Amino acid sequence: MKDTATESTTRPRNPVRGALASFDALTLTCAGVLALLTLAAVAGPLAGVGGDPTAIVGPRLAPPSAEYPLGTDSLGRSLLPRVIEGVGTTLVVSAVAVLCTAVISTAGGIVAGYHGGAVNGVVMRIGDVLYAFPAIILAILVASVVGPGRTAALVSIVLVTVPLMTRMVGAAARLVCVRDYVTAARISGVSAPRIMVRHVLTNVSGTVAVQTTYALSVAILVEGGLSFLGYGVQLPASSLGLLIQEGTVYMVKAPWALLAPSVILVLAIVAINVIGDSLRDRFEPRKARSL
Amino acid sequence: MSTPENVVELRDVDAVFTSGRGRARRVLRAMRGVDLHVAAGETLGLVGESGSGKSTTGAVALGLRRPTSGTVTFLGEPLRRARRRPGAIQAVLQNPHWSLNPRLRVGATVAEPLAARDGRSPNAHRDAVRRMLEQVGLPPDLDARHPHELSGGQRQRVAIARALITEPRFIVFDEAVSALDVSVQAQILNLIRDLQELHGFGSLFISHDLAAVRYVAHRVAVMLRGEIVETAPTSVFYDVPRHPYSRRLLEAT
Repeated sequence: MKDTATESTTRPRNPVRGALASFDALTLTCAGVLALLTLAAVAGPLAGVGGDPTAIVGPRLAPPSAEYPLGTDSLGRSLLPRVIEGVGTTLVVSAVAVLCTAVISTAGGIVAGYHGGAVNGVVMRIGDVLYAFPAIILAILVASVVGPGRTAALVSIVLVTVPLMTRMVGAAARLVCVRDYVTAARISGVSAPRIMVRHVLTNVSGTVAVQTTYALSVAILVEGGLSFLGYGVQLPASSLGLLIQEGTVYMVKAPWALLAPSVILVLAIVAINVIGDSLRDRFEPRKARSL
Repeated sequence: MSTPENVVELRDVDAVFTSGRGRARRVLRAMRGVDLHVAAGETLGLVGESGSGKSTTGAVALGLRRPTSGTVTFLGEPLRRARRRPGAIQAVLQNPHWSLNPRLRVGATVAEPLAARDGRSPNAHRDAVRRMLEQVGLPPDLDARHPHELSGGQRQRVAIARALITEPRFIVFDEAVSALDVSVQAQILNLIRDLQELHGFGSLFISHDLAAVRYVAHRVAVMLRGEIVETAPTSVFYDVPRHPYSRRLLEAT
């Protein structure tokens, strides 16, 4: 993808600014929201914003005040550092899981798309079996096998997101593999792995980027659901799902404990989906599909 | 047996496709007892309507599709063995839009067959690529461009450069000029003729365009429903076609 505009305009342009300017304001705002959340999750604990997330510091279920900007929870822990830690946990677990998904699905999808026929059939049927399980049932199954915790959340996210992403990458790879340049490469004696990397991977990278983004929003949702049910991240650590679950208990007496993590969860998912849609419009103008 | 001066020889080749199972089972005989041969330095034009089995014949001759029965030989040896010598057989395919990887620079595309043969990086073949681009009538510094910056004719020239760079003995042109403007078509056909004189490759020129075939082919084979119904030298074929179907084809143009 070369920016041809740089050649024709008289004024030399900053390529980063040029790339940013090509997205609309909504997408940029959403990217900003995500960047802010990530920054808070990374810098917050380092700078000690709001104090120790596990220390009991004040009265129980205190409303937001200057001392406790988001109030306190049922044990008297300040909610601000807990929310910051929760955002971090959720983002890290989701990001690591989605990275695994991206690697597995891209490799699986390209191999299936390249070989077609029986190989494609086997890969897609494995995907179908996984896809047939409702996400949360699959997650509970995983948690009962490996034990509740981060690992369970991670494995569950991978299992939930892999089938659809493999399918999408496989379909895109299939289209690329019937192109004349792939046939020409095969006739020239270029090896299959080389074709998959040089020709197929480079041409499905847009689909991979889009589907990875959508997978991330699903991942955050699955992590939240699993922690909410008590199968994900365990106390005294915190994650968005865990905080929401705690918040629901005292929803009437202390709605702020539920509000803050819920709003952040919604913001994060909406932001990621908007970015995903924008990437999709850019990379796959005619294929309107989402995870 | 097969004569050594033939680069490619198909003997009694059948290709059968099946689809579906049970009552939905369909059998399509794309090639029925096809016999054809291409000599070094010769172009055999293969004509016929869509679905007559022209492209299947091309795929079989390239070793992309295994025939259901019959033999295919390349320089007197079975094609399967010949396929292990990468670059001996090449192809220029139909659609100039999809013939080149949009993500690769022209130089990398043209160098690829050479790189596949000797395992070196495409960059090691820069000089060979630039010489080849010049031979197909393109400026050598086009090697740094991406396909979307090229016209259809230029793209097809690049595809020809990619096919020729390994000095193949046999090239299949599958509808190689059909998607181009008529004036560009003539240029490309001229180029193919000149390069064949220079390199002496045998070629199978598949097309539904009888005028293009007349221009480049030494002999013409007519395909109808999977069978070759007539083979004749080009001059004879266009003057006195024997098979009724050939006459119909010629009248239609």
